[in-house]
Amino acid sequence: MTTATGAVSAFPSPFSIETPPGCEGWQELYPYYTLFTEERREIDEGRLWFWNSMHFPMPMPAFDIVSIDGPYYAVGAWQNRAFAVPPAMGVDYRIVNGYVYITVNPVTDPAKIGERAEYFQRRAGHYFENWDELYAGWRTKMENLIAELHAIEVRDLPEYEPDELVFENDHVSSYVPLLEGYQRTLRLGELMWHHHFEFLLLGYGAYLTFSEFCRAHLPDIPEQHIAQMIAGIDVLLFRPDAELRRLARVAVDSGLAGAFVQGRTPAEIEAELQGTDAGRAWLGELEQVKDPWFNMATGDGLYHYYRSWNDDPTIPYASLVGHVAALVAGEDVERPVEKLVEERERLAAAYEQLLPDDAKAPFAELLGLSRTVFPYVEEHKFYCDYWFLTSYYNKVREFGAVLANHGWLADGEDVFQLGRHEVMSALEELCLMWATGGPPLGPAYWPPIVAKRRALLTRLEEWTPPPALGAMPESVNDPMAVMLWGVTPQRLQEWAAALEGAQHRLHGAAASAGVAEGRARVLNDPSELGSVQDGEILVCTITSPAWAPIFPKVKATVTDIGGVMSHAAIVSREYGKPAVVGTGRATAIIKTGQLLRVDGAAGVVDILDEAG
Amino acid sequence: MHAATAPLHELGLRDEERFGGKSAALGELLAGGIPVPGGFAVSVEAYSAFLAGAGLRETVDRSLAGLDADDLAAVQRVSAALTAAIGGAELPGDLRAELVERYAQLGDDPPVAVRSSALGEDSAEATFAGQQETYLWVRGADAVCRAVQRCWASLHSPPSITYRAQLGDTARSPAMGVTVQRMVDAEVAGVLFTCNPVSGDPSVVAIDASWGLGLAVVGGEVTPDEYLVSKVTGEVVRSSVNAKLVEYRPDPDGAGTVRIDVPAGRATVPCLDDAHRAELLRVAGEVERHFGCHQDVEWAIDGSGRTYVLQARPVTAVPRPPAPTAPSGDSALALVMSALGVKPPAGGGSA
Repeated sequence: MTTATGAVSAFPSPFSIETPPGCEGWQELYPYYTLFTEERREIDEGRLWFWNSMHFPMPMPAFDIVSIDGPYYAVGAWQNRAFAVPPAMGVDYRIVNGYVYITVNPVTDPAKIGERAEYFQRRAGHYFENWDELYAGWRTKMENLIAELHAIEVRDLPEYEPDELVFENDHVSSYVPLLEGYQRTLRLGELMWHHHFEFLLLGYGAYLTFSEFCRAHLPDIPEQHIAQMIAGIDVLLFRPDAELRRLARVAVDSGLAGAFVQGRTPAEIEAELQGTDAGRAWLGELEQVKDPWFNMATGDGLYHYYRSWNDDPTIPYASLVGHVAALVAGEDVERPVEKLVEERERLAAAYEQLLPDDAKAPFAELLGLSRTVFPYVEEHKFYCDYWFLTSYYNKVREFGAVLANHGWLADGEDVFQLGRHEVMSALEELCLMWATGGPPLGPAYWPPIVAKRRALLTRLEEWTPPPALGAMPESVNDPMAVMLWGVTPQRLQEWAAALEGAQHRLHGAAASAGVAEGRARVLNDPSELGSVQDGEILVCTITSPAWAPIFPKVKATVTDIGGVMSHAAIVSREYGKPAVVGTGRATAIIKTGQLLRVDGAAGVVDILDEAG
Repeated sequence: MHAATAPLHELGLRDEERFGGKSAALGELLAGGIPVPGGFAVSVEAYSAFLAGAGLRETVDRSLAGLDADDLAAVQRVSAALTAAIGGAELPGDLRAELVERYAQLGDDPPVAVRSSALGEDSAEATFAGQQETYLWVRGADAVCRAVQRCWASLHSPPSITYRAQLGDTARSPAMGVTVQRMVDAEVAGVLFTCNPVSGDPSVVAIDASWGLGLAVVGGEVTPDEYLVSKVTGEVVRSSVNAKLVEYRPDPDGAGTVRIDVPAGRATVPCLDDAHRAELLRVAGEVERHFGCHQDVEWAIDGSGRTYVLQARPVTAVPRPPAPTAPSGDSALALVMSALGVKPPAGGGSA
């Protein structure tokens, strides 16, 4: 997809960005290759870098770089080296004041594009033609990967090795499995990202094609209608919330509604339920639902902060409380699945009918292909971003606990303040000192570094990253940038304009139709989800399906980043609430308490007053 | 006997030759159950009979025969003479009686619109509209008869003479029918297209709307409110509410219309609500289905909220949506390849 960007403007040079006061030394958190440095200045200043606030809305903890390198190995390896998508290679990133900026490497040489096209045609063709067969094995592959991750045993280093080592000769010294286990954990993470992108690019490609085809023949078709025609109805991602609705109904039917009081902690609710047979039966049912459906994450999953519902049941319990209250009030809490299916089929049939005769067959065929591939686009999130990643960070926590046991860290959670190679290094020193019995350096070396980095991250959170840096490109060529991040030429112009002063109007992608007015609730972190009040308008960098429980509460949603297939958009359409996504800087410009008007069909957000 | 006139609801497209395009189209709409204000049509023959009865046939033929359309002074001279002759002649008694009777059937001196219904007009090939006069809010049998005569006379207005000359249609003596139709006291009126006339998108209805009679929108005297409404879901895909500074209303003195300023507070108020748009969308669908092609529809909504179609004609020159960046190919796979940057092999064939 090539679209001219029109009027030329430029974003600030990445080299002109100053370090916020008190944040000096932030570069030490990150690998050398993640920084803007003089050696690459000429090239880097000529590229467009946009803040990937969709995946990385917060300053990066040192360990969490695995969640940048992992996906960008994989997206590049598949897109550039395996499928050889003709116009686009992989994604480069740089870190500025803790925030992640990305750019896509285009292929501009026509001869090279032609060469890649031959590879692409054969290889992508194979995937599209054998999609169901190839995808059938994917879930199993992921389930095996997750099982292998859980099977990694992290055993602390003992005072004395067990007898088996000496008498049975079938045991190696404890430091070996510890170091091996950590390395295997890292490798499994990379494997997960590899699997994550195997189908994703082609899935987006099919969607993009259908979208462009519709737009060519129906220039005024709302983007959300295109999305609605494709979107899966009965996809895996909606299962966790569906299970909660079911459990809520069971609770009401069993006369347990009284336990689900707003404001109670999950522990308080469970304590009351433990007191009755019906309550214990319900808790038994909950346990069965937990595997696998409580492997949802509380955020978009890429940071170690986002725990699973198993680790932090606040969100599922908040959802249960809401569903129970709705049921008691006589409301229907079920997703109107039949209605959604009917509407989706009605839209598809109506649009096909309106097309010129020679466009009807390609429309139907493309729609079919898009529907074939789209379940993957939605389902991979559950397996990869939620289930695997929350398990993976928990495994890393186990290594953190070992380091903390020996004084290398003050707290196991501090492990995330170290880069992945630093963790390796710390484990290696621990093993060495455990073996030699000599004086360790780690307990003096690491804690001050951790303390400094924690303070830096807190200060860096205060800084608002500009939406983009560097040159305004002549065109936007990359399907991923357009589809996933909503980086269109128009969006770039709007970002450029937004940099120029106070804003009372924000533009974004029209993601879910409808108009709503209400007070803003600006969330910078998923941990603040509990502060959302009924009838407010949610303003955030990005939402994830794990946030589904708050959608019934909010009137509308506004995000910084995202296209019409982003999850805020999908969930908003599900709930029939207006959404404008990809506004660039809504969280920086809008203040909690301000009165907003959100026009989800026009993609416009107006700030109606200055209160707040 | 009613040889010269017919109620609109008895007509259909088959009657175009006899009654002209507009009357035939209105009859067709009524037959399709579309809410069109009632009225009657005056036949093309009635005009010929009038010319013969008034002894004007030869005058007209002679005046037009030798006329050089490029000689503006001559055109104006001939036009003035013919207009005066046609406008001033007596209507034959039986024709006049027929007009009076048809008018009386519409009610007690109801306000009507008297418009030309020309041959060839309103066809998709040549939009001849606007070349003849329209008389609005005409009341009383005498006034209706006069307006019919003036419509005929307008066949010989200088622009009409010149226009026909440009079409190379000078040999034939021009003729036309006349449409007399009850007027809607429009609160809001405008034009709609059953596709987006700019982008060619067939999945939307494009509505222009302004306060008062449709004259202001048709004549381009206001910037109307504009809506693109999805045929598929009924939602407004795009809209722009504009300052509608003037409107036409019936003259309080009883006949004709007046152009007045819209009070400042009302000018920027959207003139259509959801219910109006839903009804217009429904009516647009019926009109399009009935004719089987895209239509350009004049409509009005009266004070009680009833929607009427005032006329409909095929949209001339609908652009097929341009698709320069559309993925190309003959299978879904080829289309995806094309979108992701694989050019189809030159000369076709499969790779």
